Amino acid sequence: MKKVILMLLIISMLIGLFGVVNAAKKVTIWCWDPNFNVAIMEEAASRYQKLHPDVEFEVVSMAKADVEQKLNTILASGVKRGLPEIVLIEDYNAQKYLQSYPGSFADLTREFNYKEFAPYKVKLMTLNGKVYGVPFDSGVAGWFYRRDYFEQAGINPEDLKNITWDEFIEIGKIVKEKTGKYMISGDPYDGGLMRILLHSAGTWYFDEKGNPNIANNEVLKDALKIYKELFASGIMKETSGWNEWVASFNNGEVASVVTGVWIIGSIKAEKSQTGKWGVLPVPRLDLPGAVNASNLGGSSWYVLNNSENKDIAIDFLREIYAKDIDFYQKILIERGAFGTWLPAQNGYAYRAEDPFFGNQRIFLDFSEWLKKIPSVDFGLFTYEADGAIMGVMPDVYNGNLTIDEALKLAEEQFKNTLGF
Amino acid sequence: MKIGKSYNLWGWVFISLALIALTLFILYPIIYSLYLSTFSTRGFLKTFVGFGNYKRLFQDRNFLLSLKNISIIFVVQIPIMLFLALIYAFLLNDPKLKFKGFFRTALFLPAVTSLVAYTILFKMMFSTDGLVNNILLAIGIIKQPIRWLLDPFWAKVTLIIAMTWRWTGYNMMFYLAGLQNIPNEIYEAAEIDGANRRVQFFKITIPLLKPIILFTTIMSTIGTLQLFDEPMNLAAGVVTGSSVGPGNSLLTPSVYIYNVCFKYVPNFGYASAISYVIVLIAAILSLIQFKVVGERR
Amino acid sequence: MRRKLVYTFIYIFLSISAFISIFPFYWMIVGSTNASVDIIKGKITFGTKFIENFKNLIETFGLGQVLLNSLEVSIFVVIGSLIVSSLAGYGFEIYKSKSRNRVYAVVLWTLMIPPAALMVPLFRLMNVFNLIDSLWGVILPMIPSVFLIFFFRQNFQQYPKEIIMAARVDGASELRIFFSIVMPSMKATYAAAAIYAFMTSWNAYLWPLVIIQSSEKRTMTLFISNLASGYNPDFGVVMTGVVVATLPMIIVFFALQRYFVQGVLGSVKQ
Repeated sequence: MKKVILMLLIISMLIGLFGVVNAAKKVTIWCWDPNFNVAIMEEAASRYQKLHPDVEFEVVSMAKADVEQKLNTILASGVKRGLPEIVLIEDYNAQKYLQSYPGSFADLTREFNYKEFAPYKVKLMTLNGKVYGVPFDSGVAGWFYRRDYFEQAGINPEDLKNITWDEFIEIGKIVKEKTGKYMISGDPYDGGLMRILLHSAGTWYFDEKGNPNIANNEVLKDALKIYKELFASGIMKETSGWNEWVASFNNGEVASVVTGVWIIGSIKAEKSQTGKWGVLPVPRLDLPGAVNASNLGGSSWYVLNNSENKDIAIDFLREIYAKDIDFYQKILIERGAFGTWLPAQNGYAYRAEDPFFGNQRIFLDFSEWLKKIPSVDFGLFTYEADGAIMGVMPDVYNGNLTIDEALKLAEEQFKNTLGF
Repeated sequence: MKIGKSYNLWGWVFISLALIALTLFILYPIIYSLYLSTFSTRGFLKTFVGFGNYKRLFQDRNFLLSLKNISIIFVVQIPIMLFLALIYAFLLNDPKLKFKGFFRTALFLPAVTSLVAYTILFKMMFSTDGLVNNILLAIGIIKQPIRWLLDPFWAKVTLIIAMTWRWTGYNMMFYLAGLQNIPNEIYEAAEIDGANRRVQFFKITIPLLKPIILFTTIMSTIGTLQLFDEPMNLAAGVVTGSSVGPGNSLLTPSVYIYNVCFKYVPNFGYASAISYVIVLIAAILSLIQFKVVGERR
Repeated sequence: MRRKLVYTFIYIFLSISAFISIFPFYWMIVGSTNASVDIIKGKITFGTKFIENFKNLIETFGLGQVLLNSLEVSIFVVIGSLIVSSLAGYGFEIYKSKSRNRVYAVVLWTLMIPPAALMVPLFRLMNVFNLIDSLWGVILPMIPSVFLIFFFRQNFQQYPKEIIMAARVDGASELRIFFSIVMPSMKATYAAAAIYAFMTSWNAYLWPLVIIQSSEKRTMTLFISNLASGYNPDFGVVMTGVVVATLPMIIVFFALQRYFVQGVLGSVKQ
């Protein structure tokens, strides 16, 4: 028996050693979403391999929450082995990682010409004058609508290019009445739309100094009012989670979708709806400084400082993400990935007419809206603030709390979470 | 005496493997996190705060909400589940019952499913346009689809239904085993004395199973305080994941610990403090349960 | 007459309960034969998509390796924790002493700590052993099971001490007594413990999630949760995955079932 145990221990050590052996020139990449980021990274990798056949790539596909969990664990425990070379980080989280794990991400300031990238993206990854990432996709928001339903309701899309959310709700009621379709769909406890509303007014949950700005935030008050109104008016189909949401527009239950440009892949997945969709600028809040342009999501690539093949990884990102115009055309057409490397936006794909969207040159429009997006500093605590606000939403919906009271409570909660 | 000494040594030899493993993989992490709980951390930046984390906890509405959420499970789900399990065990213990093996296996089967797998399954069954609503609408029990995972109240109901499905058979097994210790003659005698099933259940089964009921209650309490896989997977897959279930209705302390570590600005010190408060609560609840059942060790 | 009525009620009640218990299994199997859209709508009849779903699962997602990983983890955890915990349970029970009882109390208390809080220190430790991103990193921390130590100790309480005494008189060593006399006679206990250890290791979620990084080392639970958490999951494939993940558990349970009640019985003797 002792021998068996001894054997087990020896075997365990041996296998354990194999656990971290790496090929000489291997670049490991962690990212989420197999149909988007993962597929795009694989495309990029195969392009790089044509130039450098000796470099191996492993693109690991995980759930977004898992990427974040792993990154936190590995960085917090100070482990130096088995690090991926490249990770995808959502823009909302960028400063959180940069400021929580100083020195863990490679300083790329001198490696890239950042003037060629969309300035708002670069700003999000800058800390103390140094730039730490390679900007990837934009979450420029659009109002995707069903041409056929709008026509049926007697609404001319040309009149909708500069409307407010209040008008949006009124139109939604007409659509509901005339066609029986919901205007939009969504999860009443998801903060996605909230972020679109805030961003379009150039505001966030914090002021310039990073202090909470919730209880007296006029934009936020308006946003909460719209949330409540959307559900109360009956024009919003409630869905739980991503899948039901996507299903609601794929099966034709809703007349429009307000979200980031990255949704195009999911909308186009329903081929029977070809020619029936169009895109408009998002509605704006009825407040000074609010514009008909916004953003939801978007993420960027970061290189880990202690990873084995850091230099190869940087070279790879430079060769593809800051040089290959054709690559950007391909991922735009195939995946709907709207890159933020500006030279790529002169390429053919950005001007092409899309038959699925009734031959609208949608990406030309998105390029225009991209330029209008107000610059916002997301700070470190977007998810904490989101959580605090969604925690009071049940009482807002059922009228137990007025919006002012709810936001006051949310701010208190937010401060408690942070330990201010 | 010589022999006594050598036996004492053997005692340590037998438990040595377990002690080494437990020290490494459980005790060391526990002590390390106790040390961490006196710091406020951001990633690997540490600030010493002493008891600051613990003070902060009692004003943290999210933490209090998570306690409130699991206390509902504690008050509603555990009693329903354990009572059902007791009834099943009692009925299946009847020597005259036919198809005993089938019923026992069928009722225990949910306990072999993985927590992640069954939660995913339930999430699909309980979607608004999903199976459960379809059935209820078809039978005519409801007229409107229930907003299972969209409403804070119904989300908790879903969680309770799912957990009861998964764990009732598991607890039934303990009771069934315990009932084998009660000689059938006791029941036969009771029947001759004219005691019906209800009387038998409350006057014989429950008193004699007391220690096992206590054991399952404590295990369920600890399980509830550590509840993680189910709410995590029920609430997963939302667009931004702003709240854990509608209006944070599925937020449990363990999920909150996870969020503080991995989703929010990573504060491992604070997360450790939360876990120590959970241990304290578990200890107090177990003690109370011991007292209530009146069992001495 | 009344008696018959009572039995009818009992049978109806038990049948409904059994139906509710089994129905999700049925639906899961049905789901694996249906297309994604039908599953969302709650279709409850068999479809024709099983082969397609299964092929997808194997080809696109690499199911085989995942199954092997999970099996390796479970087998080693079962063997390891059965040996370690039964030795400890025996040690605590047969060689009772005050100091060991104190140790035992401490061991039991550790059950109460939420595992989520231990992940980061445990991860650091695994780095020292060079076991990050390896299956052994998953296995080792799962071997010491507090519940199983408790379970074995309860069972050894039932063991007739006279047999141990007699063996000692015959000059058998303590280890020999344990391995060749006590252990073989406790089959049911070991079988029940094996089911429990298999269940916990096969279904483990959080710790493998933390320690495993590369896709070829993923275990079944990670695989399933990853399948379902993508942005546009194919529910037919997810359901097929759930079936494949659940099947081994059911097989193990049926194989060892006849010992199971007996084994649990030992642990709850009063």
